[in-house]
Parts: sequence; C-alpha cells; structure tokens
Amino acid sequence: MAVKAFSDEWATKFKDEVNRSSVYKSAAKGWKWTVGLVVEAEPDKNFPESKGVVMDLFDGSARDIKVGPAAEAQKCDFVITAPYSRWKQVATKELDATKGMLQGKLKLKGDLPTIVRYTKASQEMTECTTRVPVEWPDEK
Amino acid sequence: MHDAGAGRMARRKVATQKPVEYADVEPSAFASMLGGLIEANVESRPEKRKDFDSLAARVGIFVTDIDEGVTLDFQRGHLVVHNGLAPKRDLTIRAEAGTVMNLSNLKIGLFGMPVYYDEVGRGVAAKLVRGKLRIDGLLGNLATLNTVTRIFSVQ
Repeated sequence: MAVKAFSDEWATKFKDEVNRSSVYKSAAKGWKWTVGLVVEAEPDKNFPESKGVVMDLFDGSARDIKVGPAAEAQKCDFVITAPYSRWKQVATKELDATKGMLQGKLKLKGDLPTIVRYTKASQEMTECTTRVPVEWPDEK
Repeated sequence: MHDAGAGRMARRKVATQKPVEYADVEPSAFASMLGGLIEANVESRPEKRKDFDSLAARVGIFVTDIDEGVTLDFQRGHLVVHNGLAPKRDLTIRAEAGTVMNLSNLKIGLFGMPVYYDEVGRGVAAKLVRGKLRIDGLLGNLATLNTVTRIFSVQ
C-alpha cells in the first residue's frame, strides 16, 4: 500500500527496505555518520513546508530514520538538500542521484572523500527509496 | 635588507595560499566537487600531498552522461579548476558519472600503481576495454595518469 511521501509511515518503510538490502549491508560496512535529507518546500506542488529526513546509519544498517523539521536534518554529518520535485525525480528513477550531485541538482554538504568512498552504498540507498510505494502530494 | 624582507613576504604568501582555486567566479557543481575532493585528500593525506606538490599537468575530465567537464590545471602544489574543457590539456578522461566516481575509488597498490584486479578496478578496466572510458593523450602520459589517480583516490 502506498504511503504519503516523507511521512512517518514512509520513513518506517524506507528503513525496512534499507535493512532488507544485502547490497547496502555490505557496501555500507564501516559507515558511522548521520545523514540528513532536506526536502525543500514547493507550495505549488502541494508540498508547503520543508521537511527533514534524519537517518541514523551505522555499519551497514539503518538504526533509525525519522521525518521532522528541516533544521534537524541540517545538523547531520552529511546533508543533501534539494527541492521536493527533485527528490521525487530521484525516488521515481527519473534522476540518478550521483548525476544529480555532479550537476548541482542535489546539494551535498559533508566530507567529500568519505561520501565518495561509499558511492555504492548511497546508490543502493537511492534504490531503496524507489522500492517504497509513494503517494505524491502533487498527484492528488 | 630590502631583498631579505621581500623573501619573507613571498614565503608567507605561499604558506597561506589555498591548494585549490577556481578559475571561474561561479564554479560548476562538478568543478566544486572535484576541487573539494582533491583539496580534502591533499590536506589529510601526506602521500597525496607529495604527489600533488610534484605534478604539473592539465587534465580534463568530461562526464559524458551529463555533458559537463572540468579542467584540472596542476601547478606543482597548486591546482586551478576550470569549468569545462580548457585548451592545451595533457590528458582528457571521458566517462559516465558512475565511472568517474569509480575512478576515485580505485585502490592504490604496490609502487603507487592503481589496482585493476579488485571489483572496482575490474569494472574500470572493463569500461576502458568497451570504450565507455576514454583517455585521450595517454601515450607518453601514463605516469601523469597514475599520479592523478593517486591524488584523486579516496581509498
């Protein structure tokens, strides 16, 4: 059943997908930093307020993923920021996250050598988002 | 006396100069990412700093699936990153975004040579064989390519 984009239910399903992925488990071995996704508001897309996704990821598993204010996500070790519609493109496989970062469509803050070392893990994490059926607010 | 003072000034300038600078007022996201990656590498890893201090070459990197490139102008201890492919390059690497990221994940093995026999290395070598990774100017610049790979590698 589809869940509302960037809701608490979505966070739970996303966390389950990450923890089900053997690819992520092996590619993210040694990862010990928090990751925040900032989803910027786009009122014209029926997404009126910015949200933050805070991911507590440790050594190949997701210990916690929760949705809250954008300010919480901005405190994480790594922060990726983009407007709502860009995140939707990533989650629907219209935009490859690596390409998005190189093009500046997704803005990354954090230690670059570390994130590059875990490219495969971040690609798999993106794959996990695509496996969560989502009800998008601009498609209602 | 005058000359001695000028010498001190020159040394101070070198000590405070950032290792990486950008030629363009608004560096592209790709330029900022590569420049930031190299800067973090040379500032945290002495062996990369040594390579960085010895390298003088102009290297172009073009990402074929986003149509964006940068030129890395290494000037022995200083790097100027240009948006796009600038003229007079010694080497030009052309590949898809994923392959460019994999290049920076190549492990460095014996004698400072990139490792092409592990999973990442085999992937990069396969792209080279299939023409999905093209390196223009390789002839005569193999040592430069290896040095750039070492500076670029996060492993």
